Amino acid sequence: MRKGKIVRFLTLTIVYLLLLTVFTADALAAPQSSEVKNPHERTDQGYYTIVDEKGKVLHQTAHMLTKGDELITADNLRYRITEVKGDYAYARLIGKEEEAKLNVSSENSFWSRLLAQGGEKNIGIYHTHSDESYVPSDGTESIYANGGIFKVGKVFANKLKEMGYQVYHSTRAHDPHDVNAYYRSRRTAAQLLQKNLSALFDIHRDAVPPQVYAANVKGQEITKVKFVVGRTNPRFQSNLEFAKQLKAAVDKTHPGVVQGILIANSDFNQDLAPRAMLVEVGAHTNSREAAERGVAMFAEALPKVLGAPGSPPSTELPDAENRSSAWTIFWIVLLVTAAALAYLYVNTGSLEGALDQLRNLYGRLLKRKG
Amino acid sequence: MPRVPIGTILLLIISLLIYFGVAQRVLDRLRLSDKAALAAIAALIIGGFINIPLPGGPSIEASLNVGGGIVPLFLSGYLLTKTTNIERLRAAAGIIATATAIYLAGLFLEAEPEAMTIDPLYLYPLVGGVIAYLIGRSRRSAFIAATMGILLFDVVSYLRLMLLGIPGSVLIGGGGAFDAIIVAGILAVVLAEFIGESRERLQGGPTERGKAPALLKRLRPLSPKQQEEGDHNEER
Repeated sequence: MRKGKIVRFLTLTIVYLLLLTVFTADALAAPQSSEVKNPHERTDQGYYTIVDEKGKVLHQTAHMLTKGDELITADNLRYRITEVKGDYAYARLIGKEEEAKLNVSSENSFWSRLLAQGGEKNIGIYHTHSDESYVPSDGTESIYANGGIFKVGKVFANKLKEMGYQVYHSTRAHDPHDVNAYYRSRRTAAQLLQKNLSALFDIHRDAVPPQVYAANVKGQEITKVKFVVGRTNPRFQSNLEFAKQLKAAVDKTHPGVVQGILIANSDFNQDLAPRAMLVEVGAHTNSREAAERGVAMFAEALPKVLGAPGSPPSTELPDAENRSSAWTIFWIVLLVTAAALAYLYVNTGSLEGALDQLRNLYGRLLKRKG
Repeated sequence: MPRVPIGTILLLIISLLIYFGVAQRVLDRLRLSDKAALAAIAALIIGGFINIPLPGGPSIEASLNVGGGIVPLFLSGYLLTKTTNIERLRAAAGIIATATAIYLAGLFLEAEPEAMTIDPLYLYPLVGGVIAYLIGRSRRSAFIAATMGILLFDVVSYLRLMLLGIPGSVLIGGGGAFDAIIVAGILAVVLAEFIGESRERLQGGPTERGKAPALLKRLRPLSPKQQEEGDHNEER
């Protein structure tokens, strides 16, 4: 009887698996066409225009925007989006960001050695949206599992290698370009992080008109880069601080290359590491060659944040990074404590009961140790 | 004295301690002994570095991670052997419902500009946890449905890539201890705890009238002394 049930259950599971595979074959093949769904980006070929209270255009992006998202502009003005209506996002100025202090010294302290994990400076690069391409150069905006974005990543990787960094560039495909792309690329990110990385970059391109990212810097036609920080991730403060440091470093090395910092309502796998960053290099309407020049200029600024490669581990982290870490710790501890107390409260029905349980646990722990 | 990035180092240490601390409590809730729970955590961490390649094709990369894939598979298998048939069926229904929900989310989920988006990382455990809880009303079912539901989704993705020859990658549990499978299992159990306890509390708590004193004793928080007695009684 028991065996019969188990056999029936196994048969049912196998039948279900096969049915699911067969019925979804068509639909799953479909993402190879351009019709894909993605919660992080506009898929209707449209994009948002972010405007301030006076109607001045601050930025345009195909990233999904919601109320509460923020934008730090090239000149370090910080705006918060108060309303999203149609293709427009209305933003309010909330202040001017202090420029992040860059404080890289060549001191070889125990702590910096611990954090930089030896003399090696390892950098990881991957592409969540492995189909993203540049129309003027690649002929189309999306090439399934082999987008032009790989070539931009390669130029970035080669530049960093030339500078002496150890680079791990993953050209793994995470297609289709749908809601699950970050879920798939999370595994690539986690595997790259096992290489003792100093920083991890997810290289993308935006989907807006060409003038948003096009620029001429030091006589070269380039596309600007934009940093995107996910605000639903527990390490948000640390990631934002990293973005601000990157921006300050590029602003010093090649002024005009950074478009700004977008703080969006997502995770972007940035919960995995404090120095994980999503970088948008140009848009599909820009030429890939311009994007490659832009990302190379970005690479040249990295030693200002990560320390020069080859030299002894040198990154003395500025106070701001300590501060942002402290805030992150504070929030994590606060949330976990609140959740634990709420649970105990619900569990026992009173605050005294909750405290009783804690005392109880403490008593047991002491007993076990003794 | 060089400035010390102590904040960042503490952040790394504390966030890892909390993550694995919560994971250990969750496993504890699943009736694993303290030691078994710690061993499972160790297996998660070490196994996260081991990937077993699966047959693929020229443009298909597939692998199964020991920490993120095989450990939860074994944990769920172990939990399934320790339960009743009806509970097994509930868990199976939960697994299938979760995998289907994730699959449908991939097809149809498109956030409207005004809508609040929940990151898939948190949405799937939420879906798995709620569905499993509704069907099974147990922490163990929630854990099994959430972890195995996501794993089933991965298996289906793998089959589909192989059958249709679509280029792509399926790294089952490739994130190791931080894979969506593990995050889902932890969140689902925490969720089941919260829903279960809140529901009981909203009902006005367990009824006490007419119950045997021996049962009531178990309902109230125990003093450390009673707890100790209870621990001795429970040892098998």
